[in-house]
Amino acid sequence: MSTESDQQQSGTPIDDGTETVVGQTEASSAESSQQRFGTAIDEDTEAVVIIGSGAGGGTIAYELTARGIPCVVLEAGAWLKPDDYENDEWPAFGQMAWLDNRTTSGSWRVASNFPNLPAWIVKAVGGSTTHWSGATPRFHEYEFKVKTYYSGVDGANLLDWPIGLADLAPYYDRAEKAIGSTHRHGRAPQPANNNYKVFANGAERVGYKFYATGPYGTNAEPYDGRPASIQDGFNFQGDKQTAKWSTAVREIPRAVATGRCDLRTHSQAVQITHDAQGRANAVLYLDREGNLHRQAAKVVCLAGNTIESPRLLLMSASSLHPNGLANSSGQVGRNYMRHTTGSVYARFDKPVRMYRGETMAGIIADEAKLDTSRGFAGGYYMETLSLGPAFLAAFVEPGAWGREFTELMDAYANTAGMWIVGEDLPQETNRVTLNTAAKDQWGLPVPNVHFDDHPNDTAMREHGYSRADLLYESVGALGTHHTPPYPSTHNLGTCRMSERPEDGVIGRYGEAHDVPGLFVSDGSVMTTGAAANPTLTIVALAIRQAEHIADRLAKADL
Amino acid sequence: MTDRKTALVRLLRAAYPHESFPDGPYERVADAILAQVDDDLWLKIALEQGLEHLEAAGLDGSQDDETAEKLLRELEDAEFFKLIRAVTVVALYDDHEVWELLGYEGESFSKGGYLNRGFNDLDWLPDPRIDEYDGPEAFIEVAEADQPANA
Repeated sequence: MSTESDQQQSGTPIDDGTETVVGQTEASSAESSQQRFGTAIDEDTEAVVIIGSGAGGGTIAYELTARGIPCVVLEAGAWLKPDDYENDEWPAFGQMAWLDNRTTSGSWRVASNFPNLPAWIVKAVGGSTTHWSGATPRFHEYEFKVKTYYSGVDGANLLDWPIGLADLAPYYDRAEKAIGSTHRHGRAPQPANNNYKVFANGAERVGYKFYATGPYGTNAEPYDGRPASIQDGFNFQGDKQTAKWSTAVREIPRAVATGRCDLRTHSQAVQITHDAQGRANAVLYLDREGNLHRQAAKVVCLAGNTIESPRLLLMSASSLHPNGLANSSGQVGRNYMRHTTGSVYARFDKPVRMYRGETMAGIIADEAKLDTSRGFAGGYYMETLSLGPAFLAAFVEPGAWGREFTELMDAYANTAGMWIVGEDLPQETNRVTLNTAAKDQWGLPVPNVHFDDHPNDTAMREHGYSRADLLYESVGALGTHHTPPYPSTHNLGTCRMSERPEDGVIGRYGEAHDVPGLFVSDGSVMTTGAAANPTLTIVALAIRQAEHIADRLAKADL
Repeated sequence: MTDRKTALVRLLRAAYPHESFPDGPYERVADAILAQVDDDLWLKIALEQGLEHLEAAGLDGSQDDETAEKLLRELEDAEFFKLIRAVTVVALYDDHEVWELLGYEGESFSKGGYLNRGFNDLDWLPDPRIDEYDGPEAFIEVAEADQPANA
């Protein structure tokens, strides 16, 4: 389903004469198949090499290049521009979803309904910020300390983060300003759309208090050079009008404009190498023709999302690291989390037209708390959600047909929808491994994603469904439908942060316990997942990490 | 036997019943299914057999919906029916005539979005608050009973 729309796109190609070209390498003519943007950095120059350009990688690239530090960014996908985005669900999915072969196992329903699509994430410059919905709640303090707080829970690999909310708070401020989160730092709230009117009235009637149209990462008023939302109803397909923040419209173009960023698209990292002393020293990657390249590195920032990042570490096993790079703990790939999710669609006798307007500009936080009298540890948010008929048919009840199914579809115009998103618990057996029995398009072993729900996850989901039913019934719903989790959009935890090297993969600034100079910079670093949508926290952690790397580089400590 | 496309449309109407839909969308799905089996002999045979079986079992458009659906339920896991479902759930609901019938307007960017075209026109509920709560009740992150002894 991959497309070649990237061939038509503009951008800032290195060889178009409009950019300063520094140190053009002899390999550049052989690299004509490759798309490069920005300012060339020689492959033998030890640069900061960033793998991935999404929330984590894109932010690191911006923060470091802004401080004068040259960066090579390796992005597996194309640079899709807002004009390229298709506001049509299936074509957009074919255009930007990560569709490389993957396998699944475990008792989660995704393994039977979508066996080769464990995750719905994006392969393009900007990564999954291209299709993110925009909700930006912060973590609560207790969510950094679940081993301390969830002591009664069995069967989970709980661990406290080595950092807390106080460490992250100043970076949350900066992340919210970068994103332009509504309701924060003077940013105006989104207006109430139709889906929100149902959602918020229901919230009020069942006694919820902590609801609003945000915080939400799409402009309600012009901000940061980007316009206010025209409520066009498309988020998961990329935002054509750029009212929505993504690293593809903010951090990456700005990094490229510094003259210190060499962005290479269609570049799939296949190995991270280290020197005799065990320091990260290069990244091997494939260009779009499958030619192997080696980019020297003094620092590597790995931000390939929670499935690709551990996959790359496992593919980078060496004599010093026989079980995978940075894996002396055995935790690489383990503790895969995907948030406890579910959706509820409610049918009414009057029109709703949930598809008009900003998809997720509606958040209820009343259940995002720790109160085990509800029968589970951790909390969850309720957030407005809408799909078009094409995706609703595929996801509302996968595999369903017959009258019960078509009645859901016939009610489309009168339907309101919400997403339940809450903390799921880390389990060692929920993990990403290399499946050597299956190969990707390059002949490399594919990642297998194994997942079983923890009983706590199931109890939380059922609670969320029942509360959503009450909410919608309070405003006159004729019926509700409980939709099971989709292929995962929030993928977390497979390179987790820990105080002690034996408990996790990276330390408090994201540097691998075992490999100096190797940092992990995406959602895989999360020790535990909290209830909040993860993008804001990934950006905050990346800003903090970039500051740390810049300080260390300034002291010649990296 | 009956023309394959006619038989398929009959099956699709029984499996995905929408009274408001004309035959057009179902016919386009039938075409998509036939195109898909055209270069796969195994699926082609499976489809032929499945349709013949259904015809022999009496799926001829004369039954009520419930009877037709019951007949199909027995075949739910048959390969030909799985193929039909996989194609239909995508093709039928990606059909723009179907979008219109269901009341979905699709792409709006080229028309200036829904900002002035009804994104907030729901009038059967009061306009809710959009700002965050600033009343007297405090948000309690951790219930009293869940405070750890050593926190």
